[in-house]
Amino acid sequence: MRSVQFSVSSRVEGDTAIIYPRGYLNNLSGEGLVRECGMYIGKGITKIVVNFGETDLVNSIGISLILQIIEDLRNIEGTIYCTNMSKFLRDTFEMLGLLEYMRVFPSESDALQYLKVGQYEH
Amino acid sequence: MPLNALPAEGFLNRETELGYLKGLSGLKGSALGGNVLLEGARGIGKTELLKQLYCSLFRETAVVPFYYSFRTGNLKGTYFAKDYFTAFVRQYLAFTRKEPFTGGGAETLQRLLPAISSLGLHWLIDSVDDFQEHLKNSDAYWQIVTAISLPAVAAQQSGKQIIVLLDDFDAAEDLYEKNLGDVPGLITLFGESLQSSLCPHVMTGCAGALEAIFTDRSLIGMAERMWLGPLPEDLALDLFRTHLAHLKITSPPVEQLKFLGILRGNPLYLRNLAKALWKMGKRELTERDLIEGYSYEISDGETAFYWSSALNRAVKNPARRRPILKWLLQFLQDGGMEDGGRAAVIAGVGEAETLEALETIKRLGMIRGRDRVLQDFLRCLYMREVEGKKAGEAREKIEAQYLSKDAELCFEMVIPMSSNAELVVARAVEQIGKNINLDEEYLNYLQLALIEVCINAIEHSGSYDKKVFLKFIMRSGSLEIIVENTGRPFSLDSHKDLPAEEKLRLGIKRGWGFKLVYSIMDDVKIERVNDRTRVILTKKFKDKEVYR
Repeated sequence: MRSVQFSVSSRVEGDTAIIYPRGYLNNLSGEGLVRECGMYIGKGITKIVVNFGETDLVNSIGISLILQIIEDLRNIEGTIYCTNMSKFLRDTFEMLGLLEYMRVFPSESDALQYLKVGQYEH
Repeated sequence: MPLNALPAEGFLNRETELGYLKGLSGLKGSALGGNVLLEGARGIGKTELLKQLYCSLFRETAVVPFYYSFRTGNLKGTYFAKDYFTAFVRQYLAFTRKEPFTGGGAETLQRLLPAISSLGLHWLIDSVDDFQEHLKNSDAYWQIVTAISLPAVAAQQSGKQIIVLLDDFDAAEDLYEKNLGDVPGLITLFGESLQSSLCPHVMTGCAGALEAIFTDRSLIGMAERMWLGPLPEDLALDLFRTHLAHLKITSPPVEQLKFLGILRGNPLYLRNLAKALWKMGKRELTERDLIEGYSYEISDGETAFYWSSALNRAVKNPARRRPILKWLLQFLQDGGMEDGGRAAVIAGVGEAETLEALETIKRLGMIRGRDRVLQDFLRCLYMREVEGKKAGEAREKIEAQYLSKDAELCFEMVIPMSSNAELVVARAVEQIGKNINLDEEYLNYLQLALIEVCINAIEHSGSYDKKVFLKFIMRSGSLEIIVENTGRPFSLDSHKDLPAEEKLRLGIKRGWGFKLVYSIMDDVKIERVNDRTRVILTKKFKDKEVYR
């Protein structure tokens, strides 16, 4: 467990927004993540990649806010692409039955490649 | 032996006190003292010390011992007077003849007269005549006075000092003539007897009650205090082993007797536990047997009966028993409570009533010192009477708290209910995990489970003290984490296990926490103990989860 203060940053590549949450994903930070994603969703961006490579710990409130993002994207027929998830994070999402509402890729580049060419080589 | 006292090998570590009490007649004769209030926790051995003193003096000739135990059923003045008077006559005759008491206590004074005559105790015949005259006249007051003054009269007439041993003397405060409480202060009639230079007195009772009695102006300054402490650890072990040997139970090695420490060298508890083990058919003991015997004892054994009787004496109104029980348990767990108002709120009874009960309970010696056995008895009683648990369930819970004591390692911590405080807990788990070489990824799951329980407490309990109490118990092969907080009871109903799709459809995004906890941990127990919610999380480790 690292002692990283939660922060969120993002960038846009083509028609895709890439979000980088860092640190402990809880209620406060989760809202920051929702806001960041909401900003792009508001602009009509339907493809959001969330790179969890720097997310070390989550709680259920943080997870519930990811559900919020999924719901917001659904409303505009968009999709969330989750990458660089630790086994722990992936398993946690699986425990809650959330994986079927997101696309999961090992790395950000894998997700972007998929979004660019429509396929991803394992 | 005239009194049913313990054999010498079962009476340990009281030589100093016994020696001092035997010398009281000398002190009284030289006006250096001579009356002693023998104080100590319930069951510590005050009565036994009186009996040993009695037996020791009975074997000699210098001082006549007289033992009297006050009983609730004998507090009506006339009953008490007759009982006290007759007991003295019988014991005096027994001492003079060096024979055990005659007739099993059933003789009337009239039937004792031939024996008195045969010994030429004419002054005693006069005293009996006087007493019978008061009986005939139905003069309760003079019956009491004559009875109480008989030892002093006997000492004066015989020229031999008489040591008066009054067991549970505080009960004498409730002496009455016709109806309870009709003539307060009859106990002060003992004042004259206490002043007699030929009659040292040794009185036992609950510390608080005795103090109150001797603040009465007619009795003030008439006695010194002697505090009877617990047996030291080694002697407590010896005593317990002696009891086991008498009961033909094989004692475990000393290291497995550590559990006895919670009995704090109380001879009554030690004896009762040994008997409980015998009743349960234990013949070759392990530490677990001791704990099982203990839980039986404080649930259904003699110790439970003992404290239950004391509680009934303190709380006579059955309707008030539950709230007072709740309050008392809280009081003992918190180590005292200054705020009577808060105590009353917890108990759910009026402040005045709570304070009255507190006074009675103090008088009974129920809150002097931190008696773990008493706390466990109350906890067990609370589970059964208030929470409606069966005896077996309650006993299991009591056992569980001691079985955990054999843990390899135990940490406790308290966190405030503030933002991100759960991260402190997560860090603690991380360090504990490192100490026991847990796989780092696996550690994340434990952290998540614990974080969920903590944030649930922080978010939903509405606790006023804003604290979460945690205990980590590590054993070989498992980790147990106990999380406790005050406030609103936890209900699983508010955490319905809805699938994600349903949550999305209904717009419910919260309520994942305990789903995760149940998925991660091997066992999750949620209990309500008093005003606290307790969540017990257990995780068993498999080889792959631990780095070798």
